[in-house]
Amino acid sequence: MPKNPYLNVLAYAIIAVIFIAIASYGLGRLARLISKKMGASSRKQDSTFSGYFFAAPWIIGFLIFVIVPLGYSLYWSFTDYRITANVPINLVGFENYARLILNDTGFRSSIVNTLFLTAVGLPCMIAAALFLAVLLNQKTHGERVFRMAFYLPVILGFNTAVLLCWRLMLNTGTGIINQLIRAISNAFPPFSYLVRGVIFIQELVSGFFLGLNSGRFSLLTRVWEAGFPAANRVPLWVESPLWTKMSVVLLMVWGCGAMMLIFLAGLNNVPRELHDAAEVDGANSWQHFWKITFPLLTPYVFYNLVVGLIAFLQIFEPIYVLYRDNQPLVSSATSMVYYLWQASFRNFQIGYGSAISWLILLLILALTAIQFATQRRWVNYELY
Amino acid sequence: MRTKLFILLILASIVVSACATATTAPPTQPAAAPTNTTAPVTEQVTLKIYLLDYTADTIDWLENEINPAFEAAHPGVTVELTQGSWSGWDTTFAGFFAAGEGPDIINLGSEMNTLYGPSLADMDAYLGEAAWPDINNFGPALQNAMYEGKLRGLPIFTAPRYVFCRTDLATGTLPPKSFADWVAFAKANTVIDPATNSLTQQALIPVDAGSMADWQWWLLVFYSIGGQLYKADGTPNFDSSEALATTQFMLDMRQATYGPAADAVGSLPTGQGSVIDVNDDTGEDNGAICLAHSGWAAPAADRPVWENVSIEPFYGDTANFPNSKPVVLAFNDWLAVADYSKNKELAADWLKMAFTKEANNKWNETMSLIPARNDSQYGYVIESPILKKEAELAAQYGVGFAGIEESAQLSVIMQDVLGRVVTEELTPEEAVQQIQEQYITALGE
Repeated sequence: MPKNPYLNVLAYAIIAVIFIAIASYGLGRLARLISKKMGASSRKQDSTFSGYFFAAPWIIGFLIFVIVPLGYSLYWSFTDYRITANVPINLVGFENYARLILNDTGFRSSIVNTLFLTAVGLPCMIAAALFLAVLLNQKTHGERVFRMAFYLPVILGFNTAVLLCWRLMLNTGTGIINQLIRAISNAFPPFSYLVRGVIFIQELVSGFFLGLNSGRFSLLTRVWEAGFPAANRVPLWVESPLWTKMSVVLLMVWGCGAMMLIFLAGLNNVPRELHDAAEVDGANSWQHFWKITFPLLTPYVFYNLVVGLIAFLQIFEPIYVLYRDNQPLVSSATSMVYYLWQASFRNFQIGYGSAISWLILLLILALTAIQFATQRRWVNYELY
Repeated sequence: MRTKLFILLILASIVVSACATATTAPPTQPAAAPTNTTAPVTEQVTLKIYLLDYTADTIDWLENEINPAFEAAHPGVTVELTQGSWSGWDTTFAGFFAAGEGPDIINLGSEMNTLYGPSLADMDAYLGEAAWPDINNFGPALQNAMYEGKLRGLPIFTAPRYVFCRTDLATGTLPPKSFADWVAFAKANTVIDPATNSLTQQALIPVDAGSMADWQWWLLVFYSIGGQLYKADGTPNFDSSEALATTQFMLDMRQATYGPAADAVGSLPTGQGSVIDVNDDTGEDNGAICLAHSGWAAPAADRPVWENVSIEPFYGDTANFPNSKPVVLAFNDWLAVADYSKNKELAADWLKMAFTKEANNKWNETMSLIPARNDSQYGYVIESPILKKEAELAAQYGVGFAGIEESAQLSVIMQDVLGRVVTEELTPEEAVQQIQEQYITALGE
């Protein structure tokens, strides 16, 4: 290739474009041929060619970047492939799957952690997104600024700067979140009881889940024995295994802007006349929301539930950025995908990692299927 | 019309591909026998080197001095430096090894020789004593650049873990020389602010300030009381009395600092600069009395705080373990040659040029670290009292952090288990038993 890296990239780009054009043409011709064999008219053959020719770039990309890796991953899941071993790959049948399901306590812990994050985090995220959407749906000055502000976390994502900010904000002693809790508690003592109550319940729940992971409930017992938290207690966000998962939940809730936008779109679709009729009947704001708005928003809630569930079951980034270099804490927050990353890219067990990825896929499929099966009971499609 | 377009596209692709092929120079240097370092290379070859987190001064020096000199001595060879980061490096390297293609020379840490060893080139023919007598000048760090007794590359620097202490702030005798002394020291030198239930002063900050039970710190303590990672038959030695005592010490130190796990004391706030330094903005100390870490975490060499900082090894626990010895755990960075490289001989030539006595000194001067070559420890090393002291301690008490089988898995196992020791989910006895069992399983895989 040319020595100049820019020319090099240019040459590769040209080759890629030519390849895509030729492959698209070939796919179109193939489709036309099949159409001809099936007795289609000449006009139909032409339209088949055009359709496949224009769809081909995506189809080719999908084949190369999704189907082929998928096939490899499936194959590797039945092997002992390990990148750095420098030895031939051996087929081991279902050994990886059997080990994962029957023996691997780490994988089991990662499932429990992921389910905890999903069960606690997803409702919190949807509630926060819905709350913000309802607020932003009010016609007030600067609503666009607020919309942008709440959507900004989605754009920022979990990059290094964001991570650093969160770490500083979550610092137990000097972080702004705990400082705020302390300040409000001092100014308004009942708030202190509320916070400590939340801390107590949260630590009991986390202790229970950590006990499920390890098979021992000693941490839960210790939290219980310590009793109601002292007046100076604050959340130990990124410091205690009892709080690691809640820190992740906090980060996920912070990034609820995309869900909020979906809800905003849904709120705009609720017919005004329904609210006017309710107004005439004397409904209050609470009744407006629960009797009109929410039922008509259920398709949007369902969509966010499906997408959110998949996102939570695949949660990786917040754990990676918050705990990757905080090793003693990471095991209390390890999700299924983090465990997959650990097996594949830290231990280089590609075969084992591939098996994990297929099990995750099956789990996601099963839970999504359950969601679809139960949606008829609560999702209202009357408007759509 | 469509057929003409199709033919045109095919012709264009052939032309572009042909142009590309004509300018491509396949790197086909055989890795047979070592040759003269200035052997002429007639074909166009790019020697690719992947470095992790080096300073701008280091990169400037490599690009302005070493690489031009190397390219002049090897006509037709271009050296290409790529700079990566220790954050995410493992994923990047996994890609190189999976594809069997990537940089010829890669940057590794000391414990990685066993993890990557099977995929690294045997460089004895090029860098062994017979081919390069300079190899005898490398210190103990060279062990970290070997796998199965064969050289896989060369170490750049040595960065041992010392115990740095603030002599002006410490209460009690420095340095503590037994486990009991350390626990007493931790109790006497730790301050918790009752208003925030958080630490405002911490007696000792080892590798991980929060848990105080990081696996690297555990290994340092373990080695200092005479612990051996493997038994004579090669099985792990976590069921030894040394392993149990080390784990108990981790828990005792943690509790002497943070109290029982249920007390939920907050950690020391994040400060500016090193934890044993002084914050220039506020004039207040950052809060740590002692730091068990390498020079990376210590204050910069020109900081005034050094007037009040002692540098010591970790002394073990002679009272209970007669085999105790002062230890500084020697980490290092090293450059390895990948087995997939088609330019092994060129890679060796580049390493020889970048690791001469003078070059190893210069390279480390750009980072203020201790050169891996013994004969390179001159100039700035002995002119700086800090580096001089560190170099002396490393030479006297240095223990390598290498030869750990399945190091990645062991680190995960130990971190998980030790994390549960400090939260009192596991007793030290249960912890060492779990580490032993899980590590044996990992080795069996």
